[in-house]
Parts: sequence; C-alpha cells; structure tokens
Amino acid sequence: MSHHPLTRRALLARSAYGLGAAALGSLLSPTLTAASPSSLGIPHHPAKAKRVICLFQSGGPSHLDLFDPKPELDKRFDQDLPDSVRKGQRITGMVAGQARLALQPSRYKFSQHGQSGLWLSELLPNLGTVADDLCVVRSLHTEAINHDPAITLFQTGHQLPGRPSMGAWLDYGLGSANADLPSFVVMTSVPSKGAPDQGLLARLWGSGFLPGRHQGVALRGGADPVLYLGDPPGITREHRRGMLDDLVALNTQERERSNDSEIDTRIAQHEMAFRMQTSVPELVDLSNEPQSTWDLYGEEAKKPGTFARHCLLARRLAERDVRFIQLYHRGWDHHGGLQDRMPVGCKDVDQPTAALIKDLKSRGLLDDTLVIFGGEFGRTCYAQGGANREKYGRDHHGRAFSIALAGGGIKGGTTYGATDDFGFNIAENPVHIHDLQATFMHLLGIDHERLTFRHQGRQFRLTDVHGKVVEGLLRG
Amino acid sequence: MHATFRLTLVLLVAGGCRLMAASEPALDFNRQVRPILAEHCFHCHGQDPKERKGKLRLDEPTSALAVRDGHAAIVPGKPLASELIKRLRTSDLDDLMPPPDAKRPLTPEQITVLERWVAEGARYDRHWSFVPPATPVIPQAGADWARSPVDRFIAARLTSAKLMPTSEAAPHTWLRRVSLDLIGLPPEPAVVDAFTADVTKRGEAAYGAAVDRLLASPHYGERQAEEWLDIARYADTHGFNNDSARSMWRWRDWVIEALNADMPYDRFLTTQLAGDLLPNATLDDHIATGFSRNHVINSEGGIIDEEYRVEYVADRVRTLGLAFMGLTLECARCHDHKYDPVSQKDYYQLFAAFNQVDEHGEDGRVANARPLMRAPTTAQQRQLAGLIAGIASADQALTTSMQAHAGEPWAALNDLGLGDGDLLNKPALHLIVGADGPANAARPDAKPFTSSVTLADDAALGAVFIPPATGAELTKDAIDLAKPWSFITVIRWNGGAGTLLSSINWTTNRAAASYGAGNEILVRVDGRIEVRRSQMWPTYAAQVVAEQPLTAGAWQHLTVTSDGGRNAAGVRIFIDGREVASDLLADDISGSPGGTARLGARQGADPHPFNGRLADLRLLQRVLDPVAVQTVGDAALARLVRQAPDARLLPWARMTVARQRDPAVASAWAQREAQHQALLALQRSLPTTMVMSEMTEPRPTHVLLRGAYDAPGDVVTVDVPIALGVAWPSGAPRNRLGLARWLTDPAHPLTARVAVNRVWQRLFGIGLVRTAEDFGLQGEFPSHPELLDHLARRLIAGGWRMKSLIKELVLSVTYRQSSRREAAAISADPEDRLLAGSPRLRLPAEVLRDQALAISGLLRHRVGGPSVFPYQPDELYKTVVVDAPYPGTEWVPSTGDDRFRRSLYTFWKRTVPHPVMTAFDVPDRESCTARRARTNTPLQSLVLLNEPGFVEAARALGTRLLRTEGDDRSRLTLGFRLVTARAPTTRELAVLETSLARGRASFIAESAKRYLAVGTLPADASLAPVELAAWSAIGSLLLNLDATISRD
Repeated sequence: MSHHPLTRRALLARSAYGLGAAALGSLLSPTLTAASPSSLGIPHHPAKAKRVICLFQSGGPSHLDLFDPKPELDKRFDQDLPDSVRKGQRITGMVAGQARLALQPSRYKFSQHGQSGLWLSELLPNLGTVADDLCVVRSLHTEAINHDPAITLFQTGHQLPGRPSMGAWLDYGLGSANADLPSFVVMTSVPSKGAPDQGLLARLWGSGFLPGRHQGVALRGGADPVLYLGDPPGITREHRRGMLDDLVALNTQERERSNDSEIDTRIAQHEMAFRMQTSVPELVDLSNEPQSTWDLYGEEAKKPGTFARHCLLARRLAERDVRFIQLYHRGWDHHGGLQDRMPVGCKDVDQPTAALIKDLKSRGLLDDTLVIFGGEFGRTCYAQGGANREKYGRDHHGRAFSIALAGGGIKGGTTYGATDDFGFNIAENPVHIHDLQATFMHLLGIDHERLTFRHQGRQFRLTDVHGKVVEGLLRG
Repeated sequence: MHATFRLTLVLLVAGGCRLMAASEPALDFNRQVRPILAEHCFHCHGQDPKERKGKLRLDEPTSALAVRDGHAAIVPGKPLASELIKRLRTSDLDDLMPPPDAKRPLTPEQITVLERWVAEGARYDRHWSFVPPATPVIPQAGADWARSPVDRFIAARLTSAKLMPTSEAAPHTWLRRVSLDLIGLPPEPAVVDAFTADVTKRGEAAYGAAVDRLLASPHYGERQAEEWLDIARYADTHGFNNDSARSMWRWRDWVIEALNADMPYDRFLTTQLAGDLLPNATLDDHIATGFSRNHVINSEGGIIDEEYRVEYVADRVRTLGLAFMGLTLECARCHDHKYDPVSQKDYYQLFAAFNQVDEHGEDGRVANARPLMRAPTTAQQRQLAGLIAGIASADQALTTSMQAHAGEPWAALNDLGLGDGDLLNKPALHLIVGADGPANAARPDAKPFTSSVTLADDAALGAVFIPPATGAELTKDAIDLAKPWSFITVIRWNGGAGTLLSSINWTTNRAAASYGAGNEILVRVDGRIEVRRSQMWPTYAAQVVAEQPLTAGAWQHLTVTSDGGRNAAGVRIFIDGREVASDLLADDISGSPGGTARLGARQGADPHPFNGRLADLRLLQRVLDPVAVQTVGDAALARLVRQAPDARLLPWARMTVARQRDPAVASAWAQREAQHQALLALQRSLPTTMVMSEMTEPRPTHVLLRGAYDAPGDVVTVDVPIALGVAWPSGAPRNRLGLARWLTDPAHPLTARVAVNRVWQRLFGIGLVRTAEDFGLQGEFPSHPELLDHLARRLIAGGWRMKSLIKELVLSVTYRQSSRREAAAISADPEDRLLAGSPRLRLPAEVLRDQALAISGLLRHRVGGPSVFPYQPDELYKTVVVDAPYPGTEWVPSTGDDRFRRSLYTFWKRTVPHPVMTAFDVPDRESCTARRARTNTPLQSLVLLNEPGFVEAARALGTRLLRTEGDDRSRLTLGFRLVTARAPTTRELAVLETSLARGRASFIAESAKRYLAVGTLPADASLAPVELAAWSAIGSLLLNLDATISRD
C-alpha cells in the first residue's frame, strides 16, 4: 500500500466500469439466499440505534470489584458462604476441591459519580466522568460457568458452537450502510502487562449457518489491516488497476460466453475489494487526528494493537457507518492475583472507554450508537483459595453479574436490577443474556422473534426461543 | 404415492402453492399441504404432547378428524364444516388460528390450499422419505436424446416444463469439469489434446475410458473425501478455547483409502460406526471408528465433566442423523421432535448406543483424548511386521547357535565378573539395612522413611523390603518424581494386583483440579506392570501397561524409567534387564507431576497393597538407558542365579556365558537385540488416533429431561425410531453394530437416498433434495423424487458401490450438457434445478488452491500423512489463541514439499481455520455440515490476488510459460489453456497481450525483484526479472479469471 500516485476518484474513473458506490451497493446483494432488510420486513419498528460498539472484556471481570459494591462482604470477611445463599448453585472444578467457600470483600473503594450518583469502583475513575451516560445492569445472568460456553452464549445466543454471531445476525438483518467497508469489524487486544489467559474463537465473529459473507472482518495491527489487503510488493496501484481492468475485460467476455450473471457480482466484488484497499488504509491512518484526540484517548492509543487504539478506530468506524464494531480485550480471568491484574486491565480500558463515549457524544454519534462494556460472566463473592484482605482471586460466577451500557436509546445515569447482599443471587429485575440481546435488537429496530433464518428444518434466531426486551433499560 | 408426485413446473419454481384450475390433479399432501401445517400448526398441534394445545393433533388424521363437542377440526370434503378452516378464516381474534401472538400467520393462498385439500377429502399421506424407495418406472420422455435412465427422469421434468436440454459441452469442457469433480485437479493441455483426439477416433468409448482413468486415480479419494470431512467434522484440533492439537489424520487417511478402494457404502458406514465391534476387527476397522470421535472436546479447567461427556454423545447422535439419515435427530433431545416422528425416548435409545465409551468430558488438553490407540501407517505396519519377523528369525539363529552350548555348565558365570560398574552410582535412594533399621546408603544421615519399616538383610539380594499393608512413605526429599527418574529393584511378586510405588493421594475430592496427581507403578492382577503419570486423573494422564507380565513367585529384575517429560513414550519398563513393549492407554499430560513417593501401597486404605518383596531397591534421579539397564539387570540376575539356581534363569545364564565365549552367539544375540530395540523405538513413535470402544460394564442411559446432563429420567436401552418402519434386525446385537445393520437394511427408507443425494450434490451443485442434511418434514421436497428413488435402488442393487454410480452419472447427457443456458430457460428455472444445462459453479476452497498449485507445477502429490502448515500470516494466532504452550497454539510453517500439498492436508485449527479456506466458505468443522455455501465476496478477490501462496503460484505459472518454447501469443494461449482447458478467442488473446505489455511497462528491475521474492521458493535467476515479473502478473491474472475459479 505504499503507492498512492493516483487519487481514488481518478482510479475509479479509469476503471473499465467506473461504477459508482451506489450502483455497486446493490450488486453486493447476496447471491444464494436472497435476503435484504426490506424482504425481511426490517425495520420492524423505528430504530433508536444505527450501530453497535461492543467492548467485550473477555475472561469475566469481577462485578464485585467494579460495578456492584457489597459492604456486607466486608463485615463477613472469611466467613463461609451460607448454604441459604448458594442454593445448590453448581460451582466449577476450579474450586470444587476447596474445603470452604470463604467470603471475599473487594479491596477497592466505591464512590458515587455524576448527577445520577452511579456507583463505581476506584479502578474506573474515567468512567465516572461519563456516569450520567451509563446504564449499569447489575442483574445480568447466564447459565454458563465456563469461558467457552459463556462467551459463545453472549455472542451467538447459544452455549454450543454453530450459531451465527450477533454481528452476523445484524449484517444479515440490516445490511451494510457503507459500500466501501465491511459492515462487521472485529479487533482484539491483550493486557499491557501480564497474561491474556483464555483464547478467543473465530466463531465469536463467525456467520454460523448464515452465509459466510456475514462474518466479521478482523481489523489488525501491522501492514495489512485486513488480511491480504495490500497489493504484493512490487505491484503499483496503477498496475493493479490495470490488471483489474484486464480481469474485468476477460470476465465480461466470459459473461457473454456463459450467460452466467454471477460473473457480474464477481466483477463488482473485485471493485469493492479495490475500494477497500483505499478505504481501509484511510480508516486506520490516524496522522490527521489532532492532539485533542490523543489527550482524550491517551498515549496508549498511539500504539497499534492496544485497546485504546481500537477505541479510537471504533469511533472512526462509527463515523463511517460500520454496523457492528466488536472489540475484545483479554486478561480478565482473575482466579488469583486479582490485586495485581485488575488494576492493569482497568488502566488499559477505563480511559479509552470513557474517551470513546465522550468522543461519540461530541460528534453527535452517541445517540444512535449503542455501546456495550462487559464480559461473559462475573466472579464469585468467595475467594478461590483462601480469603485475604489484600491478595485474592475469584472464580467464575454467572448467576449474577454486571454490564455497562451507553448511547443508542439506553437510559443513561441508571442502575438497573440488584443483587443480594453477597452479590451472589439476583434480588430484583433479572436480565438474562437473551433479554439483553432482545433489547439490543429492539434498539436497532428489530423484533428479535422475527429476525429468523431457516436451517436444518428449523427457524433459528439470535435469542433461540427466549428473550424479552427489557423496557427498564430504554430511554423514554 | 408416485402418481401424486407429478406436478407442474409452475408449482415447483414458485416454491409455493398457487391455486390450480379445477382440472388440475388433486393436491399432494406431502408437497403442498404438510409444509403449511408443519410451519404454522404443528408447533402446538403436532406430536409433542408437552406443547400440544386443546388435545388436538393435526399431524395425523385420527385426532384431526375426531369429533369433539360436536365439532371436528377436519370434516373431509366439507371445508365449511371444518373447524380448522373456520378458525383460519374467522375475524374474531380470540378464535383466530394461529393465535396472533404466535406470529405465524398464513397467507391467503395458504388458507385456500388447506381449504381445497379439505374439499378434496383431506387425504393424509406418509411423509415421502419415510416410505422405502420404490423401483420407479423409467419414463418414456427424452427418447430422442437420453443416453441413460437418469436422462429419462430428467427429460420427464424438462418435457413437462416445455424445456429442452442444451447442447453437449465440448469434449475439453467436459473433461475439465469431470476432472475437477472427480479428482479435484484440472487436466493438463496434453491430456486434453489426447482426449480430444481419442474422441475423434473412438467417440463414446473415449469418454468411458477417461472416467475410468479418473476413478482409478489416487486423487479421487482425496477429492471425494473433502465432503466427508465436513460431515464428520474432522479437524486437527480439539476445539473450544484451548483448541490444542489432536491426531486424527490416520482416520482421514482411512477415508481416502476407503474411497479409492471403492469400499461399498454400507461397509463404509458400518466400519465407521462400529468397526471395533466387527468380528475379527482389524486395525483399520478400529481406526475408522474415529468418525464418532471427531467431535470437539473441551479441556477448559473446571468444567463439569458429565456436562461435556453428554455433549459428545449428543454430537454423535446428531451426526448420525445428519450424515446417514438426513434427520435432525437433535431436535428430539429436549422434547419430542416437533416435526419428524422421533420421540425423545427414540433419541435416547439411539444415544444409548454411543454412550458406552470410557471417556471424559474434560480431556485432550495436550494430545488425544481417551480412548485412543496406536495406529501405524501401512508403511509402519510393514516395518513392524518386518521387525517382528526379523526378531523371530534372529531368535531362530540364536537357538541354533546355542545348540553347541546346551550342556555347558553355567557356573562359568562366576568368571565373567558381571557387575554394575558405576552405573548405579549416586542414587537418590539405596535402601540398606542400617545399624538401627532401614537406611539410605545415599544419605546415611537421613532416615529414608517417615515411619518405622523393617528390612531383612539378604547376602545375595541386598536389603529385602517386605512392604507393610499400609505401605511406607519415603521422606519428602528422597526423590523428585517430576524430574527424570529410574526405579530399580529385584522383585518377587506373589500374585494379585498391587502398588509398588505411588505418589498420588487418592483421598482428595474427585472434583478438584489436582485429583489423582502424581506417579504410580502398579502390578496388575495379571502380573503386567502399569505406570501412571497424572496431573488430574484420569483426564490428564500418561498411562502405559507392559505387554509381558511378571512371573509369580520368581525373583526378577525390574526397572522403570521416566524422562520426566510430558509424553507416555518417556516411560519405559524393563524386566530382567530387557525392555518390554507396552500398550498406550492415555497420553495427555501438560506438565510433569511429582509428589511424595510411597512404597508398597497407596496413601489411605489401599485394597491392593503389594503382595511380595522388593530387594536392593534403588531410585536414581536420572534415566538409565537400555544398555545400562541390561548391564545392571545381568549383574542382579547373576547374583540371583548363584544364590538359588532357579530353573527360570538357567537358559539366561547359559546364554550369558555363551555370549562371552562364542562370537557366533554374541553376534546372533546382538542382532536380535538391535531388532528388538528398533521395534520398541518404532512402537513408541507410532501415531495415535482416537477410537470408539465399549466399556466392559455398560453405562445405563437415561432419558435426560430437557436434555440436561443432570436431570436423568427413565432408563432406556438401544433401539431405533419405530416410525421409520424398519425393525431392529433380528439377532443383531443391541449396540452400534446392530444400529449399522439397521441403517444398511435395504428396506431402510433414508440411508441410500441420503447417500445418492450427496453424490448428486457433488456433481450438480444442488442435491435432488436441496436440504441434504434434512429429509424430514421440514426438509425440501425432492426436485425429482422418482430419480432419487431410482438412484437409491441402483446403489443398493449395485452392492452399494459408488464408483460405478458416479461413472453412470458423469457419462449421462444431463451431466455432459453445456453450462450455457439461454434467457428463457434461466427465467423459467433460475436455479437450474431441472437441469436444462449443466450448472456453472465456483470451485470449492480446496480445489481452488490445489488447481493453482497444479497449474503452476508446484503441487506435491503425496497422498496422506500428518497435516501440513502452508503459508499463513504470522500474526494470525496472536491476540487470539489461548495463552499456554499447548500443541496447536503456534503455526510453524512447513518447509519442503509440505508447503505445496493438497489443501485437505492443511492443518485445521477449529477456532482459527486457515483464512484462505474460510474466505471460500469452508465450514468451521465444529459440527457436522452436509453442504457448503457458495458466496462471492470482496475478500475472495483480495485472497486470490494478494495471498502469498497464490502470488507464488502465479510466479511459478509465469515461469512455466516463459520457459516454454514459443512467442508471446503461443505462451499466452498455453496459459489460457492451462487454466480453462480451452483456447482463448482472438478477443481474449488481445486482452492478454495488452496485459502483458502493461506488466512489461509497469515493472522496473527493483519492483520486479520484490514481486518475484514473494513466497519461499527462489525465482528462476536465469530469466530477466522484469520479463519474468510481467509473466507472473499474467499468471496472477489467469488464476483469477472467473472461468478459472469456476467449473462450467
């Protein structure tokens, strides 16, 4: 991509077809299963959000140390988890061998922020500055107790592999809003210090049984922001354009010879690829970002591959109307040494997340961009190993945990639902992962029960046979 | 029922139900009526009693026609009296069906169809695919052009649609098509020329000969296997978030070999489902059962074992349904199937057949999960057989050479001065009798045991340890079993199972992640030594068992060594100084376990303390090699035989003496030893593969309520869904083998249909039943039901052989048509389901890359073997894969030929499949997939133009062209022929010439060199860089043509 001797406009004009973006957009329509938002009847109702930025914290960050303060745990330090609280909840093999489940308070202080008085841990000072845009759901729950099924449920609506991811469903249901970029983009990052722990899985941005073109495109650091985006070394842009013109000329003759209209689509896809070779480098070229950007997102954003950089790119993708922007940050699986690792993770994500929300807001994009911040489950109120005021770890906990939402029709400055005094059970307004998904779809103008795809004899949907829109999360 | 299949084209193409004039034939229940009822009514009025509303069933006539409170849902012939029709038409929202909140409204056309069906008498037919295939009458249509019965069936539909087949494809077009379809490689121009000439000479015979050549090619099995690997969810990693490597390529190679050998499909099916249960099962039969072990396996720490074990069994049942029966059996896991006649009980009766495996939910973190077996390749089997024969003849030679020494006194042993030398120096522990009890000669200052233990002193044997029933714990620092160690002793085993050494505390919580961690040396009840090294029993353990048992009551020398590593191959067992072969039961530890060793019994109450004595016990913190063990063993045996002339040891003693005195014996001995060592080394290096095997104690199978692993209901035993109309074969065992016999019963309505449908799908792009995985009520009705039945019957009658069936199909007029269809045919039949022309299809991922490698001359043709690692971006796994050094978490690129092997050998990591493959619609192989999508995306363009493998292939193609004698035009023509099998038109040639000129003008020496440096093979330095680069760009253009990446 080192050669930019011609402008994009000039290259397009020189191309054999010179098709405009609008014309191509229609040519990009699916070739096998004809589906388009209109044929699916979408929007089912007016949409509040046009796009989603999901800041997924992989590994299961502790709700008890970030979003859900529990003074009772402090009082009951190192006491056994009462059976009346546990109520037979299954626990993982990680702690099944422990003689006791000793209650573990958080070592971090919580305080209230903003007009709304939202409670946040001292580890998230920057999020505090956007407290009034946040909605913290404290009553989220999942059946899964292990990473793979839990993260797969969050992203695909089912614990086992095989279903399309949320982004793929949205691409299928809503189509693209940008003819030059993929509509579902994924970026992954690891902690600045320490182990990233659990692996991620391509299925989390896969298309499952939906056609492959709905899968997420990974945006990467390094020379090729999209795999194989750059021309081979030694091929100039003009040469590539010329080769494409020759290819189009030959394919056009093949089109006449074979009478196969699929070739028209292929030609259009070559052109889209050619445009991506310009639009993606433009997207990731941050040289024109002013100093205020770096002040906002922090110096870390200057390093490729960091969460901070990805948040900045997420804003640029949102500006370009990319539909589903998925970030993954790893390293939240704090079975032990939480006191060392939690601050690192929070430092990596706190400022950039707050920056992204502010940035979107100042550009008028927050209103129609749904921002999601959370992991696949929370952590236990008892310690893995022994309880300790300073040094501790927590096991996986899916029965009750927290997630933060902002923008896109979400009611800011609210705390929704509550857990018991131990942060173990839900005390009010439970929200299942499927409910959350139904709510996201609702905000995007989709009735989650009506966006379906027939596969192996059954109509499938993101929320399986479950899910209810959580009205309490919606801005009036 | 076949009369009712005759339908007009309009109906089929519209895919819906249009009202017919009165003269139209009666509605077909299966085709036109049931789909409407299934989609809109069966959910609440179907066979699932839990969901059923108002006790009404509409899926069977008894309930639908029954009169309740003076009303019947259906009154045949009287729509207006039928409650069903009234409720569909009412404007009263309380009465309206389906209820508005169900969000399943019918269209007015659908209601009209139901009304007409009731008016016509409301006839219910059995679902077409549950009736055994008939032997249909071959239609008369197409008499003027048909060449085979297949063509006649196609002609019948074409005729009624007023369509005609297109003209025949040119011979070269057909040859490229059939080559890509059958072997996945394009024909070279010379092959095309020879074929064209042969057609001119011999006509039709040339076609048959060409097909025979392709069917006999070793690459036939490779190409045909691709689809089966999707179905069998084959991959080289276990899946889930650890996604570490597994070794199942022996199963994959079995598939290729079986297809190449044209193994009859009934045997192909039976061997994979139940090869282990066949009488006299061979190694290959066992390997084939890996079909049911290809599922994902989770090794995430802390998962609940049973939860995942149940998932694996469920995956086998799901695959059974999709692969062999075209049924979505898994829908009946939580409740009775909503649409197909499979009850939840039926499901668990099938489940029971796959529930008898001694396996674990959590397994496979660093290697294969159990059960597994060593699976030598054919070449290795030959080597093994050669070594075994060699040992036998060496034994013969040894016996012969010993004849001269038969009467010699063995007392000369004394003169040999057999000793240990310094081999046993610096032991960690050497048990001796000290002044006040047992002592460790290695550390006289420290007591060896934590409690009091007595040793008896024996002049010949050293200190004799008589283990107490509770065993004796060594002091903590006696030896570190996590590091390399050797256990050396003279042993007398008195029978029964027993513990020699154990550092495992079996009294901890079974659910704990460290349960069963440590090392053990055990004697099995049959006298065989078993060694366990475990991090978490039985999930993460190496477990080997010696093939040769100890002799009860005799003093013998025993050595066990461990290299402290992660592989079971690092554990070796020696009896009387000679290494013995061992069976591998488990090979999956991700670290090295230690623990405090205990002699003679396990910690806690061991029901099997060692019954016998151990003398001269030494533990070394290092590994004795086989030569050293033999020296040490000989010295010990010499002491033994002097002490008590034991008949067992006399031949050994004579041999030992003779070896020293007679070079002939020494040489015969050395020969035998060398082969013995070679055999053991080969055995240790053999690949393993996961297999099915039945537990000795059957595991009871319960119906699982809501499908949940922890909600067992009634106990069930192996059986099959009665509604499919085929009984359990009489006398067949109630296991997977009986199940396979049932599936391959010629009366089975599904097996043969599903199999031939997939053949059709491979050759024509879309199956006769489009939903290749679903022949149930929600599946699509066949486009040519009689043809499907004809082919199913033909398959069975032909002994289930696929090659002859495929030959007939590819020689049919239907297959040999041109792919060009005119506008009228396209608009009448957009998807070409009626086949008035051959479909034009984009090639699958594997074929695309293989073709590029073949055309450019890079392809290396070796069939089978471990998976390979062609080019893949370095950073692909970074930031994604698990942060642990498990195998399969790093992509180490292949070197040499393995860079250019066929794509079905590319290492398949489930969570991050190869990006070139995923760009072209391969499934993720997480579960069974019976058909692939064929999409057309911008990313495909980027891959074909920029991916280093394709760029290198383009350069190799450019090099090939440039090195061919001729001028620009002849070379461009050759290039075009290489990729399309046809000559370019003048216009096409003109574009190629323009493009070549463009390349020559665009490159300069520096840019050319950079372009030519892509990949790992050096560019041909004898060619001018700019010229070669220009031709390489032509190569890239040619490999990207739509005509190249499609088969027409």
